[in-house]
Parts: sequence; C-alpha cells; structure tokens
Amino acid sequence: MDMPTKLTVDPIQLEIIRHSLVAIPNEIDANITRTAFSPLVYEYKDFATGLVDPEGRLIAQGSGSIPIFVANALGNAVRDGLDIYGLDGILEGDVIISNHSGTLGQHLNNVVMYTPVFVGPNKDDLFGFMCVLVHWVDVGGNTVGSCWASDTTEIFQEGIQYRTVKLWQGGVRNEELYRIIRYNTRFPVMVFGDLDAQLAGTLAGRDKFASLIDKYGAAKMRSVISAIWDQSETVARESILKLPDGVWRAESFLDGDEVDGWEPVPVIVEVRIEGSSMTIDFSGLGSVLKGPLNSGTYGGAYPAARIAFKILTAPDEPANEGCFRPLNIVIPEGTFLSAGPTAPMGLYSATLPTVIDTIIKAIGDAEPSVAAGGHHASFSAHCFYGTDPETGELYQQLDTGHGGWGATARQDGAGPYKTMAHGDTLDVPVEVQETICPLVVESLALRPDSAGDGAQRGGLGTEKVVRVLADTGVSVQIDRTQCPPWGLKGGEDGDTAIAAIEPVKGELRYITKGMTTMKKGDSFRLRTGGGGGFGSPIERKVDLVCADIAEGYITEKKAKDTYGVVLDDQGKIDLDETHKLRSTMAELSKVT
Amino acid sequence: MSVIVAVDTGGTFTDIAAYDLEAQTVSYAKALTTYDDLVDGVMSCVGEANVDLGETDLITHGTTLVINTLLQRRGAEAALVTTKGFRDTLELARGNRTNPFQMDFRRKPPLIPRSLRFEIDERIRGGGEILKAPVTKEIEDLAVALEETGVRAIAISLINSYLDDSHELMIAKQLRERLPGVYVTTGTELTREWYEYERCCTAAANAIVGPDISEYTARLRDSLSEEGFNKTLYMMGSNGGVLSVERTLREPISLIESGPVGGCIGAGAYGEVLDIQNIIAFDMGGTTAKCSIIRDGEFGLRTPYFVGGYDTGFPIRNSVVDIVEVGAGGGSIAWVDANGRLNVGPRSAGSDPGPVAFSKGGTEPTVTDANLVLGRIASDIFLGGGLPLNIKGAREAIEKAVSKKLGLENRPLEETAEGILALSTVTMTGAIRQITVERGHDPKDFTLFVFGGSGPIYGSALARELNISRVIIPPEPGNFSALGMLLADARLDVTRTMILGLEEDALADIEQAFMAAEKNGVDTLNVEVPGATITALRVIKMRYRGQKHTFEIPLSAMIKDITQLREQFEKYYRTRFGHSDSEAPLEIVGIHVSVYATTRKPNLEKLPRIAASGKIAPGNRQVYFSKTGGWINSQVYRRDTLAVGSKISGPAVIEEYGATTVIEPGDELVVGKFGEIQVMVGD
Repeated sequence: MDMPTKLTVDPIQLEIIRHSLVAIPNEIDANITRTAFSPLVYEYKDFATGLVDPEGRLIAQGSGSIPIFVANALGNAVRDGLDIYGLDGILEGDVIISNHSGTLGQHLNNVVMYTPVFVGPNKDDLFGFMCVLVHWVDVGGNTVGSCWASDTTEIFQEGIQYRTVKLWQGGVRNEELYRIIRYNTRFPVMVFGDLDAQLAGTLAGRDKFASLIDKYGAAKMRSVISAIWDQSETVARESILKLPDGVWRAESFLDGDEVDGWEPVPVIVEVRIEGSSMTIDFSGLGSVLKGPLNSGTYGGAYPAARIAFKILTAPDEPANEGCFRPLNIVIPEGTFLSAGPTAPMGLYSATLPTVIDTIIKAIGDAEPSVAAGGHHASFSAHCFYGTDPETGELYQQLDTGHGGWGATARQDGAGPYKTMAHGDTLDVPVEVQETICPLVVESLALRPDSAGDGAQRGGLGTEKVVRVLADTGVSVQIDRTQCPPWGLKGGEDGDTAIAAIEPVKGELRYITKGMTTMKKGDSFRLRTGGGGGFGSPIERKVDLVCADIAEGYITEKKAKDTYGVVLDDQGKIDLDETHKLRSTMAELSKVT
Repeated sequence: MSVIVAVDTGGTFTDIAAYDLEAQTVSYAKALTTYDDLVDGVMSCVGEANVDLGETDLITHGTTLVINTLLQRRGAEAALVTTKGFRDTLELARGNRTNPFQMDFRRKPPLIPRSLRFEIDERIRGGGEILKAPVTKEIEDLAVALEETGVRAIAISLINSYLDDSHELMIAKQLRERLPGVYVTTGTELTREWYEYERCCTAAANAIVGPDISEYTARLRDSLSEEGFNKTLYMMGSNGGVLSVERTLREPISLIESGPVGGCIGAGAYGEVLDIQNIIAFDMGGTTAKCSIIRDGEFGLRTPYFVGGYDTGFPIRNSVVDIVEVGAGGGSIAWVDANGRLNVGPRSAGSDPGPVAFSKGGTEPTVTDANLVLGRIASDIFLGGGLPLNIKGAREAIEKAVSKKLGLENRPLEETAEGILALSTVTMTGAIRQITVERGHDPKDFTLFVFGGSGPIYGSALARELNISRVIIPPEPGNFSALGMLLADARLDVTRTMILGLEEDALADIEQAFMAAEKNGVDTLNVEVPGATITALRVIKMRYRGQKHTFEIPLSAMIKDITQLREQFEKYYRTRFGHSDSEAPLEIVGIHVSVYATTRKPNLEKLPRIAASGKIAPGNRQVYFSKTGGWINSQVYRRDTLAVGSKISGPAVIEEYGATTVIEPGDELVVGKFGEIQVMVGD
C-alpha cells in the first residue's frame, strides 16, 4: 500500500497554518459575494477562489463556491499561462485571464483570473498564483447569456475566447483588452461589476497569502503544505481501504438534445478499487455530441470523477491536491466528457450530476452502506426573458429546480435540494422573481408520491407553476425525463422530471431543452424528480408510513399499494390487514 | 434610596448588577441558572445581591429563554397560515446544501410540520396589486380547522405581504376574535422586508415562543411584585435596546440574542466616554467566544440571523446585533483526531465536569488546563480561591491526550500547552477576522475590548495576531453583560423593503416612509419611557442594481438630491472595497430607522471596585511566554489595588474575582479614569 510517509513538520504549527490557509480564500469568497453584480455569482456561487503552486497544484480553495471547480480549473488555467509565457514571463502586478475551452473544457462564461504571489524580502520568490474564477453573465455568442442555447454546434457560437491574456501588466491596466471585453458582452455593466469584484478578490488574496507566507517563511510553508497534502491523501486512502477490492460498473442515460435528435446519451462508468487506490474509467462513454452537452477532459470528466470521489472518501476535508492523489481517471479522447476545443460546450454542466451519481451507483454495488439511491440530477433551469410592458426594460430571470435526493442505509433521502454539482447555492425567492419579471408564481410545493419508495424512501420532488403576465420568452434545460433516479437494494425509483407550457388557448406543450415563447396568461409547470429509495418498501416501519400519510408526503393509495399499509375507516392503522397484506406482498416478491 | 437593576439569565449563571443612584455604588451577585423555572434563578439572584425591590425603579432583564426554546425545539405547537400554493415554503427553504460533498446532508426539520400548515386563497402581486382578497367565510372555515388541531399559536405569513399587510391583518383580526386563547402573530408585524422563506420562519418562530414568553413574563412580574416591585420592567432586546413587556409579548423573537447584547452595549458605552471610534467587543466564557464590532458608538446589526447556525439552522429577519460566535472557551477540549491532527473545541468540558484541573471528574485537557500549566492562571485564585486547581492532573492530561498522540512526548510539555493556546487563538482570530475583514473592515483600525471570564487572559495575544495596538479590559469583566444592560437605552427598529431606482421621484416616497417609521417609533417609545429624550437615526439601504447585498448608509441629514446620495454611497463603497463605479445604476432597497429613548444610567466612573484593605503588595510567579523563550518571573497584581493612573510593564498578571489578565513582555499597561485597564501592545 502506498501510504505517504510520516510527516516531519511540527504538528501544532501545521494545524495553525492549515487554519490560516483555508481562512484566506473564504474571506475572499465573502467579499466577492458581497460586491458581485450578478445573481449567478452571489446566489448561485458560480465562482471559485484559491491558491495554486507554480505547477498549478491546488494549495487551498474557498469552501463557499460550487463543487464543479474542485477539478482544479484554477490550476489548469495557470498551467496554460506557464506554457505560453514561461516562468520568466509572468511578473509582479500581472493579472492574466483565460476562458479557453481547449484548456478549461467548460463553457466560455467561466473566466479564470490569476496573479503571481511573490514572497521573500526581495519579493522575488514565486510561491504560487492567486486565482479567482467567475462565471461572467455574457461573453457574446448567439444567445443572451452565451451558454443557454441548446442548438449550438461549435464553440464559436457560444462567445469570445480570451486565451491567456494579460488584463493588467506590471500593475498597469491593459485598456485594449478592457475595450475588447466591453464590446463582446451584452451586459457590460454587470460584467464589469463582477470583473471588479473578481479583480479586487484576486489582488487582496495575493496580498493576504503573501503576508501569511512571509510570516512563517517560504521554506517552512512549502514543507507544511506538502504535509497537509499528505494528510488529506491519507484520509482519502483510509476511506478507500474500507471498500472491497474489485471492478464495479454502472450505467444510466441522459435525455440528449434536439441537435442530436433526442437520442439518449448512455453514461457508462467503471470503478476499480485496489487497496487504497480508486480508478474511475470513462472508456465506455460515447463520442462527442453535435450539440452543447459536451465538456473537455478537465472541465467534464475530471470534475465529475473528483466530485464523486470526494463525496465517497473525504467529504469534510478541505479541497487540495492531496485529496485526489489516490484517484486515477481514465478518459479516452473524443468522448462527450473529453471533447476537443471546437466542440460546443454551452450546457457542459448538465451532464455532470448524472455522471457523478452513476459513479456512486457503481460503488453502491460494492458497498451499499456508503452509497445512496439516485438523486433528481437535473439542473431544471428555466429562464424568463423579454421586455416589461409596464417599464419597457429588458428583464431576465433565471432559476433552477430542486428535487429529491436518494435514500441511504441510515436515513430517508434528503431535499429538495439542487444537484450534486451544486453546493451552497440559493434559489431565487418568489418575491424577488415577481419583482424582476411580469409573472406570478402560482405555487411552489412538494409533490406527494414523487419519491422512490423503500425501507428508507427518497426525498420528494417539487412542482412549480408560473403564470406570465406578458408575452415572454422562456428557455428551459431539463434532463433525466426518461431515466428515473434509481433505487438501491430493493428500493424503488423516484419520479422523473418534466415541464410543460399550458397555454390559455391551444394544446399543452411539453418542453425539456430549448427555447420557446409564452403568451400573456400562459402557465409554465415544472415538476422535478424524487430521489431513489433504499431497501424494500414493505420493510419500512409502519409508523413511518403512517407519519408520511399524515404529513401528506404519500397518499393512502400509495401506502397500501406499495408499502402494504392499510388504514381503517377512521384513518387509523389496521394492523391485522397490514400484516396480511405485507405477508402476501413478501410472498409475491419471492415468486417474481 | 433609588436603585436600578439588570438581571441576565445566562447558560450557567444568572448575574445581577444593581446600581444605587444616590450612593452611586454598584453591587453584583451570581446564582446558578435554574432550568426548571428560570424565575427562581432570577429571584435568588435578587436575594443574593440584597436588592430592596421596594426601592427599585427599574429592572432590565436579559434572558436566553427565547433562543433556548427554539434551539431545543420546545415551545408551543403552532400552525401556519399562508398563501394558496405555498404551504411548503417553510420546508423547501432555499434549496442550498452548506456542505457540498456530504451526501446525506440535511437541514433541521421545518419549524411547523406540513400537517399544521394551512393555505388560504388570497394573493398580492409582486408589484403590490391585489389579485385576490381573502374571504371572511374561508377564514371562518380555517378557524374551525385550526381549532380542531388544538394548537396554542398561529403564524400568518403571506406572499408579498411586505408590500401590503392588509390581508395578514384581516386574517389575524378574525382569528384573534374567533380563537381568543390562541397566540396569533403575523410576519409583517415583525418585519416589512421581502424574502418569503425568511419572513415565514420569523413568524413561525415568534408563534412558537409566544405562549411560553407570555407565561414567563407574567410569572416574573408576579414574583417581583410579591417582593414589592411595581415599577418599570424592561426586557433586553437583541437590537441593543430595552423594550416594554407589552412589546415583548407581541414580538418575543426580538429577544433572540437578549443575553450577549449586554456586553456590546457596555463596550459601546465605554467607547463613548473614552472617545474610541472603532471597537471589537470580544466576550469569552467557558464554552464559546463571541465578537461584535462597534463603530462610532453603533454596533452592527445583521439580518437574517440564523438560529442554530447558518449550516443547518433557520433564518430570522429581525434587528439582531451582528455577533460571530465560535466554539472556543476556557472549557474547550484539546484532542487529537483519527488523522493525527490537533483540535481545540468545539466540544467543551463546561462547568461539569469542567477542566481536569477542577478535579471534578474531567479527564480531557482544556484551554484552562493549558493556561494553568503555563502559569498564566494561578492554582489558588479560581473563584476567589474557593476552587483550588490541580496542576499535576492538568499536566498529565495534556501529556496523555495530546503530547503522546502527536509524538511530542520528548519535548517540553510547555510547548504542547502553548500549542493548544495558539490553536485556540487561531479559532478566535478567525472569528474576529470574520466580523471585520468579511464585513469590509481592517482589524488594525480597531481597539480590542475584552471581557467574559476567559477573555482578558487572551487580549494581548489576540491583538498581536491581528496587529491591533490597544486592548481594553473594563472593570468587572466577569459581570460585564449584566453591567452592560444597566447602560441600555430603549430602542425600536423599523425596517421596510422598498425597491426604487435612484431617481428624484423616489426621494419623496423615501421621505414619507422615513417619517412614518419615525412616528411609529416615537409614539411607541413615548409610552414605554415617559418623559425621555427621543432621537431617531435614519439609514438608507442601497446597492448597485443587480447586486444582492445591500449597503447601509447612515443619513445624518435630510437627503438633498440624488447626486449627493450617490456620492455618499460611492464614498462608503470605496472605503470598504477599494473600488466603486460612477456609472452603474444604483437602486434603493429600503429604509431602516432606529429610534432611541434615553433611560437612567449609572455613572461609569463609580463602577470599579476598590480594595477595602488598603495597599497590598504585588506577588510574583513564573509565567511561560514562548516568544521570549520560556519561563519569566512575572509580577502578579490584584486588580482592586491598582489606582487610576497606575502603570505596569509586561510581563505581568492582573488577577480579580472571575478573570485574569495577562500582560505579555513588551506590553505597557495603564489604568484609566474609569478603572479600565488599557494595554498598549508592544511589537
């Protein structure tokens, strides 16, 4: 077994430095959240802050941002910078940006900004790079917001690429680049508001890290960081050791999109566990898609594998390079998670929750106690846009759905929450939505009977109904309308997601991915999926089933048909009938 | 004779501070908090302090009753009435998971279960227009259904009611008439801010604590009145002002941080007389450390406030003092985890079994044990010498639970003890950085004001870490919360969300809203504090359009025009974030008015205790200071022997009942006019 060697650093000082290292990106996170202009940053947390070493290895990352960036999008951008400029070509006061799809493998809205951190008495020792990634609300392309179109076939339709260019050079603003940015976005005020927050965070992070490093000295800091990586590695390895060795496969599928003729997209993963190492193998994946569901290796395959790995092995460990050392990722070129630089990637993130969940499904076969039933796994984004007839102003209101999570061996599925690709991501209050847009949210409620049944049942999905008060455009991104969130160990599947437009006049129209228009008075109805169950429903404790009926989480019919729990005329449990019915159901399940 | 009294019911002790307005003397006492009936603890504390309630003009009472009721989910069974389609708002929350990688993450259950959440067919649009008014008949049907549930309290919270409270008021009126024994509260009576989930939680929480606090205050009044007290009783509000019992009954949620706020008020009062603009108030007890900031005499308010913490707790929209709390106290346990890492806290040995040194059954080493091993606290002065400390036990526990597990058994034990203190210092500086840096301030622009039983021992060390040059330890640091409550004014905060573009037309609406809010506050306080001087402070909430966070700009005069308002905003923004944008559109998000009525207060110069027995020579002992190489012979003083103007150079230790102050080498101490210890921190 390849456990790291015992550290030689003072263990007390190591702890003190660890706390200080994690605190800095979190402080920067807080200030970016306060000063950013767009809800994608401050509510959705579509940003990341962190410090990487001169080889792009992750030293510390803020814990407030969404998990998609733990794959070290930050380090990838820096490595590209080092390839292009060389170590000598990056100087104090340089601020570099990149959103290059060939490097980062994600949609072009994700712009990494970084600056070198020089330390020492003469400020000539390059310790690393302070990085801040922010989702810019618009970088041009064929659609408002750049990445919401479901019909792009090339990355060039999704916006402008800034591949590793200096926004500031030696402390001086590069006015030309600012001008290019200004005239390649539909929302310059918002983009510059966010850019200012991003820049302030990058520079403040640099200064804070530099003073922390100088306080202890660069040499000591390097050995402490190396020890911290070793410790995180040990935590992950010890978790893997608890899993049985073997090769585990799992499969699921995505809905696909219009460009690819709604052809389902299979997600096939293989997980190999050997001692304290884990390999996640994506060799079974299909090839690059024509439409925008693709991602590059470092923007798709890596984050999906790393998020699943971290969920399974070290959920509470701060993200750093060491956490991921025991993980090998096998990904051939040219799959939809390892697409080349010209493939469209606008909706790159839509596949990730399902990929992550499928990896966990594979582990569920190996060791059910550490896994869970499937979760709803759909972003269920829905964006209303148009011109307000009362004010004449343009509006755009994006929200995503939350649905049920899978049950585990220990407890019912949680939620409704957003997906495994999300974290501390807040939804937009109804009262705010109604202020921004001419619409009325008629209801936002739990969906009874939507959870996958089981000894532990899944979490419930939701239903949201929106009536528009003016002619409106709507863009919708839903997935997993065909492949339900799976049950585990005899637990049943959860309900799938679906959305429809219910016009005042005319036929109901289902919609999963795409853009359409709504007339004044039309309603939009979104149902999100429920989580998968764990264990057989007829083994669920009777009092839990009764409580679910009392709270309206399940109907009486469901209780009887699936859980074998019978109520009498007064609505009280009929224990005799319940016992009889459950025995019959148990017999039947043996036969089948 | 005429006395004013503050009683603070805390987690372990109930504290009292009584001030004789004529003699200008203050007396203090402590009694154990009695969880069976908190009133008993209050009354035995009053007895302990020998306060003559017949001569008492005013009692201010702080209590943890509200927060504990909510944290422990006791309280009354309550029902919710909400807009049709939104029965589940309370359960859906905001969809976020604060630990992204934890698969079975879940929030604490909703405050009111689904079966007790009722809908009513009514609707106000996001623009304020009424789409559907509630119908009397449906409210009557609802009353029947609510009656059947047998709930003791009802919360009413409707979508968009922040724009128009008429529907909530109509339903409340009818339900109150129809169900006279039931406690009924509405969201808009508590807050006029938007965000339906947050407002709904506020209403639900208020309903849940309503019946309990009603019973409690009634019992307290009866008990006090039996002892001859029939004057004014105020409750300590979490906004830093006192409120009448009548107001408490309507909005018990206003007492959510009723206890800790006392120290903030005290720190603010000392800041004012000492002419210090920026203060970090740092309060450390046995289990946690709390910090808050006071700027120009005002402490920050924070909304929403999370009951049970941000990670899994629920939000309250109320004017609550902005306090960051961390699990670092004298009783915090030092332990090594499965991965060989040293941790301090958040678990605490509390007062039972307490630190190993107490010899009351504690086996895990604590911060207090580390302080004892390093000579920073004496073994014979705890609780005035009533509790001798076991230094041998403390050493052995640190050796066994920390040194050996970290592989440090061959190094001096002092290094490990020092490490435990250093790590807990990191946790505490983390909390201070959160309340300053994350709010856009630099700690070095502040004076550190430390109190609580465990606070003064850390003042110098914290200040060094944060580049703060001055530390102040007030008189009676161990009783400071109760003392602070004696200094509180009556206060009422009114907040309204009003989303308006920054245009000239908006200013008239804003002025009108300010006037209405001020009138509301002044009318209420005129009744609560007859004859008092009443002042109002206006704050306008603004942001760049699109931003979420709003920035609160205090207004010292009437707004002249939008240009001036814009300049004021940009200046404020630049000082905090280093940049501002003169072109991005601004919007007004709402207003906040704080109305104050002055109450009678003690003279701060008269508060310090003075030794009865004249001069007492200082002692000395060895104290360990790692920065200067280890053990140093240090002077040890009794605080009540230090006259105003005394000067001492570190290293030194100042001891008093309930607290010890450590002055590190290089520090200079001077005792100020109000008996406060001022430490100038050396390099």
